[in-house]
Order: sequence, then C-alpha cells, then structure tokens
Amino acid sequence: MEKRRQEWLQAIESAADEAALKQVDSMLFGKKGAIQDLVKSVSSLPAEERPAAGKAYNQLKVELAKVLDDRREVLAQEQMQRDLAAPDFDPTEPGPARMRGTLHPISVVQNELVDLFTSLGFTWQDGPEIESEFYNFEALNIPDDHPARATQDTFWNTDGTLLRTHTSPVQVRAMRRFGAPLKVIAPGRCFRQEAVDASHEHTFYQMEGLVVDKGVSTANLIHTMKTCLRVILRREDIHVRLRPGFFPFVEPGFELDVNCAFCEGRGCKVCKQSGWIEILPCGMVHPKVLEAGGIDPEEYTGFAFGMGLQRVVMLRYGINDIRYFMGGDLRFLEQFDEVS
Amino acid sequence: MLISSNWLNRYVDLGGQSPEDVRDALTMSTAEVEKITTFGAGLEDLVIGHVLTREKHPDADKLSVCTVDIGAGGEPLQIVCGASNVAADQRVVVIQPGQALPDGTKIKQGKIRGQVSMGMICSESELGLSEEHDGIIVLDKDYSAGVEFSRVVSFLDHVLEIDNKSINHRPDLWGHYGIARELAAILNLELQEYGRPVEFPASGEALDVSIEDLAACPRYTGLCIGGVKATRSPDWLRYLLHAVGQRSINLLVDLTNFVMLDLGQPMHAFDRRRLRSDVVVRRAKAGETMTTLDEMSRDLTEEDLLITSGGEPVALAGIMGGQGSMVDDETTELFLESATFHAATVRRTSVRLGLRTDSSARFEKTLDPANAELGIHRFVGMLQDLCPGAAPSGPLADPAQWRYEPVIIRLRKARLDLKLGIQVPDQQVRSILESLEFEVRDADDGFDVTVPSMRASKDIGIEDDLIEEIGRMFRYDNIPEVPLSSIVAVPHRDEELNLARDLSRAAALELSANEVYNYSFQPDALLEAVGARELEYTIVGNPVAPEICRMRRHVLPSLLSCLGANLRNYQSVRLFEVGKGYHPESRDQDGLAHEVSELAIAFAQRGGSDYSVLRTGLVSLLKRQGFAVELDELMGHTDLPWIHPGMTVALTSGAEVVGYVGTLHPQIARNLDLPRGVAIANLDLRQLLRVGRKEHKFVEVSRFPTQPVDVALMVPTGVQVKTCANFLREVGRKLVMNVQLFEAYRGAELPEGVKSLNFTVTLGATDRTLDSKDEEKYLSKVRERCGEVQAELRG
Repeated sequence: MEKRRQEWLQAIESAADEAALKQVDSMLFGKKGAIQDLVKSVSSLPAEERPAAGKAYNQLKVELAKVLDDRREVLAQEQMQRDLAAPDFDPTEPGPARMRGTLHPISVVQNELVDLFTSLGFTWQDGPEIESEFYNFEALNIPDDHPARATQDTFWNTDGTLLRTHTSPVQVRAMRRFGAPLKVIAPGRCFRQEAVDASHEHTFYQMEGLVVDKGVSTANLIHTMKTCLRVILRREDIHVRLRPGFFPFVEPGFELDVNCAFCEGRGCKVCKQSGWIEILPCGMVHPKVLEAGGIDPEEYTGFAFGMGLQRVVMLRYGINDIRYFMGGDLRFLEQFDEVS
Repeated sequence: MLISSNWLNRYVDLGGQSPEDVRDALTMSTAEVEKITTFGAGLEDLVIGHVLTREKHPDADKLSVCTVDIGAGGEPLQIVCGASNVAADQRVVVIQPGQALPDGTKIKQGKIRGQVSMGMICSESELGLSEEHDGIIVLDKDYSAGVEFSRVVSFLDHVLEIDNKSINHRPDLWGHYGIARELAAILNLELQEYGRPVEFPASGEALDVSIEDLAACPRYTGLCIGGVKATRSPDWLRYLLHAVGQRSINLLVDLTNFVMLDLGQPMHAFDRRRLRSDVVVRRAKAGETMTTLDEMSRDLTEEDLLITSGGEPVALAGIMGGQGSMVDDETTELFLESATFHAATVRRTSVRLGLRTDSSARFEKTLDPANAELGIHRFVGMLQDLCPGAAPSGPLADPAQWRYEPVIIRLRKARLDLKLGIQVPDQQVRSILESLEFEVRDADDGFDVTVPSMRASKDIGIEDDLIEEIGRMFRYDNIPEVPLSSIVAVPHRDEELNLARDLSRAAALELSANEVYNYSFQPDALLEAVGARELEYTIVGNPVAPEICRMRRHVLPSLLSCLGANLRNYQSVRLFEVGKGYHPESRDQDGLAHEVSELAIAFAQRGGSDYSVLRTGLVSLLKRQGFAVELDELMGHTDLPWIHPGMTVALTSGAEVVGYVGTLHPQIARNLDLPRGVAIANLDLRQLLRVGRKEHKFVEVSRFPTQPVDVALMVPTGVQVKTCANFLREVGRKLVMNVQLFEAYRGAELPEGVKSLNFTVTLGATDRTLDSKDEEKYLSKVRERCGEVQAELRG
C-alpha cells in the first residue's frame, strides 16, 4: 500500500504542467480511478478489517487531494510567473497582415456633409445624371441663347438628352416633388466637356444645397455656409468673404471665399496670393426658378449653394492633382482609410 | 479681360488708390480681379543713350558697332547692335550689363564677333512694350542722355485681370468706361463724361443702309469718313493697347479696337472704295460663301447674319470682316460700322464656325444699342485728334430709328430688407442706385427705379436685380450672419441613397475592398474586350474622344479595367464601385434613359481565386443590411457577357434577381490580361429595395447545451450542397438546430466524379439535454436514408 502511495505522490509531484496534472487527477479521482477502486475493494475485505481500511483509504484520499491541490497551485504560480516574464515580447512585432478596405475620399467627405446637413433637417436627394435640357438649363433660368450655356461645355447625347453640368437640376426636381418649405442637399456626379489636366476633370462631384421658406435671407445663407465650412474643413478659424458672383439661377448671386489655411491670409500658391480660397458659389434663389419649381416667389424666398467636392477634398488632404480621383490607383485610394 | 489703370484714369481719378485697393473694390462689389500685373515692370532703371558714332561691324554685314553716351559724365559705351535702323545722333534706350530684360534675360558684357559690347540698344518687343521687333526705339532728339526712359515715355501701367465669367451678364463692363463707372460708384469718386459728341454734316456722302431683319440687328449706324490714313498709331495708344493684350495694326484698326475696349462696342472699318453704294444687313442664303479677314472661306447657312454691299457679303455680322473690304495702307476713305447684333444669332454662327473674336464675345452679351452711336462719336473724335484732315463726309446712317424705352421697376423696401436680411436706410438705397445712373423716385412701398439703357439690355429686368445692386454696393460682407429658423419636419429619407452609402461602408469594412470611382463612359476597346460592344447605349455626341462615347450600362466592366494596373503593385486587389448604369431602351416620362444604381465588386489575385471569399462576404454583408437572398441558381441569360456562364450564381429573392456573384468569363479574363478566377459580383440597389428587408425576429435561446455532430456525405459531383443540407435537416426534424458545410472535399483519394461534403450538424432540444443515444439515432437515420440524395455516409 505504502509503495502505491509513494508512486501516486511521485506522479503528482512530477506532473510538469496543468495537462499532466489533470491526467493524474483523473487517474486517481476519476469515475474509474484508483481511489474509487480502493473504496470499492473495502467491501471485499473481512468485516473486521473494513473500518480500519476505510479510515486509512479515506486519509489517503484526503492527503492525495491536498497534494494535488498544492501541486496545481504551484504550477499555476509558475505559469503566471512565466506569463509575466514575457521573455520574447517585441512591442514592434505586428499581428498578421490584413487587407484594409477604404472609401473613396470624395465619399468620405460627401458622407460627412450628408451627416451634417441631415442633422440640420435637410433631405438628401439625387437626380438623374442623364438630364433633360429643361431641368439642366431652362428651369434654372438659362434660356436657349444664354451665354452661360456656351460656357458650360455640355456633353450632349445623340438622343437630345445631356449629361448634367451641375447638380442644380435637383433644385427644381425637389421643389416639384416636395413643395415648400424645403431643405435639401444633393451631392452627385456632374460632367463638363473639357480636357483633363492636373486641375480640370470632365467628371466631377458637386453638392447642391437648397433652402426655401418664408423669410429666408442672405443673412441666413451666410450663417449656414459658415457652419458648413467649419465642419467640413475641420477648422474653427473660419472667416468668409461674400462677393458678387453670377449664376443665372440665383439673384443676387455670390462667390463665397474662405480664408486660406495654408498661408493664414498672407498669400500663397494655393490661394493665388490673395489670401482667400473660392469655395462656395451660392445665392438667393431666382424667382423664376422658384416658379419653375411650382413655388410662389412672393410668398417664399430661398437660398442655394453648390460646392465642388473634389476641391474640398483637395484642400483638406493637400492633393495636388485632380486626376487621382478617377484614376483607380490603389496607391492613392488606400491612403484614405477613414470610413464615414 | 485686361483693364489698364492708366486707361481708367482717363475717366476716374484713382490717384488715391493703390492697385490693391482697386482690386479689392472691384472684387467685393463688382467682379473678381484675378491678378494685378505691372506693364513695363523692370524698365524703371533703363536710361536714354545718345548714339555718338555708328560704324559697320568689321566682321559682320548686319551688325553695327556704336559708341553711346549714357550721361552722368561717364565714358561712352561701345555697343554692338543688330538693328538696321540704328544711326548716329539717335536717342535710344540702353540696357547695361547687370540689368535684365522683362523676360528675365540678364545682360552681360561680352564680345560679339570679336567686338566688345557693353550692353544693348533695345527694341519695343525686347522691352515688352509692343510686338515691334524690326528696329530699335528711336526717341525724340530733345531728350538728353542719362535720363530715365520711364520718365519721358509714360508706359508704366497696372493691369487688372478680371475673371470673364464674373462679367458675362454685364455687357456694360466689357470696356474701361464701364469699369470706371463702377469704381466711381464704389469709391465715391467723380466720373468723367464719356467723350464729346461730334457734329456730322447734314448732307454729303452716305451709303444706303438697310436692315432686313430688325430682330437680328436692332441698330446699325454707319458713317463715311474721308481724308484718313492708316498710319502707325502714337506710342501712348500702342502701349495702352499692348498693355491690355491688343496688337497694334494701324491707326484706323487701332481706333476701332480702342473704342471696343473703351466702351465695349465693337466696330468695323471698311475701305469705302471697296463697297458699293449700299449696305444691307441680311441673313445668308443657303450655300452662300464668303472669305473672312483670316483668309478662310466660310460656308454659310440661313442662320448667319451678313453685312452685304452690292449683293456680296462684306462681313460676317458681329464676328469678322470680309477679306475683300478691309482697310490697308492705301485706304483713304472709310465706311465705319457701329451696330448692335442679336446675341444668340452671333453666338450660333460663331460656335458653328469655331470663330470666336473679341467682337463676337461682346455681342454675345447683348449690347446696349445706345452704344452703337456713342462709339461712332468716340471714334471720330479721336480720329480727328490723331489724323488731322480726317472728317466725316456725310450724315450718319441709322435706319433702325432705335430709341430707348425706359424700363421702370418698383423696388419694395420690405422685399429688399427681407432678401438681404438687413435694414438698408432709404437714403443709402437712393444714393447707391443714383451712383450707378439709375433714376429713383419715391413710391408708397419703396421706390420706382428707372434703369439706364446700358443696364437694361441684359442684366436688370426685375426687382431682385435691383436688390443685388443695393447688396453689392452695401457690400455683402457687411451683412451679419443669422441662423435659419428651423423647419420642424422629419426630412424625407431616400432609401436608395442611404442603401448605397451603407453598402459602400460595409464593402470597405466587411469585404476589405477599396472604393474606386470610374468614368461613366466606357471606351469601345473595353466594351469590345468584355463582349458588350453591340448592346444598346446612350451615346454622347461630343465625347472627349470619339472612341469614348458610350455611357456604361453596367459598372462592372469599369472595375475590371482597373484591376490589371493595380495587380502590378499588389498581390491581391479588391475593388468596388457604387455607380449608375444607363439603359436607353427604357425611358421615363421626360425621355431620360433609365438609370440603375449598382454596387459592383471585383476580387483578383495573382494566380489565385477569390470566389468563395467574395460569396461569403457578400451574403454576410447583405444579411447585416437585412436582406435575405438565396443563392441557388446560375445567373440566366442576360446582357452580361463577362460572367462565367457555369460559375455565376444569381442572388434571388423569390422570383426577383437582385444581383449575381461568380467568376469572370475566362475568355474575358484573357482579353483583359487578367489572372484566372477573378471573382465578380453586382447588386442592383433598386431591386434590393423592391424585395425589401426581412425583419429580425428574436429566437429563444435554449437553456440546454447543443451537440455538434460531424457528418461527411460522399456524393456524385452533380449533387448540390443545398440538397444535402436540406436532407440532413429534414432527417433530424426538430432536433436539428443548424446545418453548416465546413468543407467540400475533392481529393485524389476519392473516386472520380465524387466529392465529400463535410457538414457540422448541430443537434439540440429546447426542453432537455440530448444524450449519446440521440446522436446515434440521428446518424443511423442518415445512413439509412442518404441514398435519397445519392449519398453515402463516410466513416
């Protein structure tokens, strides 16, 4: 008996890790383990020997359980010490490489603008990219012989339709659909027939904005635009300059310039030495456009704005060539890993 | 447009203003000034030299060796000069070693063909003063050597470059006088009256001018002038014109250009002797041709407006004169035209012929007919000053009898304040309008404003136009910002736009794909390569290139076109794009091609295949968005020739197909030089929204443990996973909680035509813990019945 006890104690003490100890544990204390066998064997002993044997076996059981527990604790302590020691931990060693998806930088900025304006109660709309002459020009107070048509370098389709030259057609579409009062933004793809170079693209992104309500004024326009620029350019030091600009669908029309962040107004290449960056053409909606949208210009006024998204993205990230946007080059695209 | 400060100073005294002040004043109230340049910059230090001697260069026929006194008591300089007009005793302009020409060329002392040259005697073109490069500048002999050139000839000028776009609607601003008028109003300065009227003889020579189409030509004034000579214009005029980018030709042409740049009124000077006794303004006849000044023969249509004489075209109205009637050195008598042509007529002809001139650009703005006559007076007045002996030889022809009918607009004070968002004092409204030559009378709710004719032809037509005048002169940046009072309404939500955004985000985050933007045009070569060239497309009539005129029906081919280049830089490329496809075969009520928003995805890997990764990712992405799609059937016959017909699965919901996921057709992959097994997918967003999202329902979580059982079925290769999975589910009835394929094994040790589908079947019950008997019972049932799906249970 004592020999077996020694063997068992030896087995416990020599278990090198938790798994080995567990094996010993189940060999001793399992359903068909050695202790169970001993307990069972008591019944086969002569009756007078049973109490002593029972007592001895019980003592042995308690002793083994304790040794087992002690050993478990020792092993756990050892393991913990090893875990803490971290002998080969290299803080610079990365995990396995992983492909990382990205959104196009224009999508990133567009989504931020959408979030901003929808939080201000604007409806997010889009219109067709292949447009009619009516929505793209006539409804926007650009009649057939208007010089603005000549400057807009339109892509004309052979079926008489055209590729929209701006997102402004959505103004009239939205007015007709929703009536007044109305707050709407419409970011989207536009087209102009021009040669592509570092600062010109025939395919570009604009975001149209329109507010129509009773009593809307130029003062409201200025406030809304400043709010928008603060968020989108991620700057608090926004100064704007509102100056005359001509667009047939607004009256009066403005160009809104923002103070140049690159030179802090001293004049640099980005702002063409003026200290200001032209960023937001806007204006008070022309009465004829309200009428085209089925809204009474005597009862309602409104303002509209259009923002070139490429320009905003280029300003924000310091991108120097507009051709990257439509170039499909992952080395460019993967740099923008914000997902908005 | 270039505006000269010297020129402006003829009409308004800008002495107290820096060029920057002038720029800011115009930019903030009128039109954007893009740039200020100094004409004659860098010439301030050049001095006048006195040519003492001139000898022929000993070793070069065309060169002269001169000694030039440049004053200040110094030694005369020896200068080698190449000009043929250099001569002794001339006063010339000298640039010395160390100084630089406006184009940056540094002058150095050197030897020319062996002769020392201590500088250069300059021509106008070298100094950037004109294009004249035939000879050196020869100045009046009164000037003494050593005096600064810029002191004796006043060429120094600040030139403002105005953004043309910002004055397209303002015909009155296409000349210096109009800009001067604005500056006078903004800066509160006095504006000089415009020229002095000239008396024309009551009788004498006059051509018989008639206008056949008054709509196309509301006014035509013409005057015969005798005693003219096409001499060289005086320096001040040549420099002034050159400063604003206008080449000097001769006095007669220069004066027409001067008036055009002064008043914005284009004019044309005909040689009187080359016209007959009549001038008719008429439409061209079909098939008629004429040769314009640029020696190009022009085919005309009935849309074009002509000036004719003796039945023959002599000018393309408002665009360019004819070759046969132009003035030249021999001209002694002029017929001077100053007319008003209809903007759209001029524009159409000019666009059709690709012939845009300074004149046509101005007529396109809709000019004020009053300027036609004003221009003639201006021209004659200046001509008489510069060409003594020139005089009108008869009365002014002006058959249209045009007279300005004053436009009067009511400006309501309440609307003015409402639109600007400020209260403008009445007195200020009045003074602003009057400074711009509007007449203002009080009315009960505001003012009655009479528009001056130069503003009435185009840009001022309604009350809001007057509000703009007040606003810009008040200066918009004096208007305070005021928040919108909010409209309390839940904004309409466009599901398709939101879905596009959500799917993009999911594609980036969940599929680890990169979003690209591609053009809406697909090049013919690409369409050819993907086998889709013959489908119906919306065609752009004036594309960027003839072979890039088709508007894409589907986004996917665009994606395929960006894989190759990126695979050169990356082992594995995953791209997606959300964009529109255009389908001209179905149109909306406005006749517009049907537009389909698509999410297209392509995964490519050098040498490998990504189909299953894309498939799993896409299904999970859709499920997360609430769309439960089935992937049971191959994608049927469609307009998608790039899909692998046997390895592309339709994404369906009931009978509706919402997209596909599969593999690129191997032939298309070869055509595009792409690796095998490119995985592609497409979703039609509107279709997805049509079939709708599934509502999530809560399922009770079992309190009892579940039991996973691995089941491997050997089946002929034609048997589908779904058939087997359904079988495994059905066999266990309520006890089967989930059936999941973890491997489809096609190994060498399996018989030919057989695959092993290895599933994990999760058994469980909501009311008890299963025991080993349940598992045994399940497996024996599977073994017993698996023949139903041609399967054999392995192991």
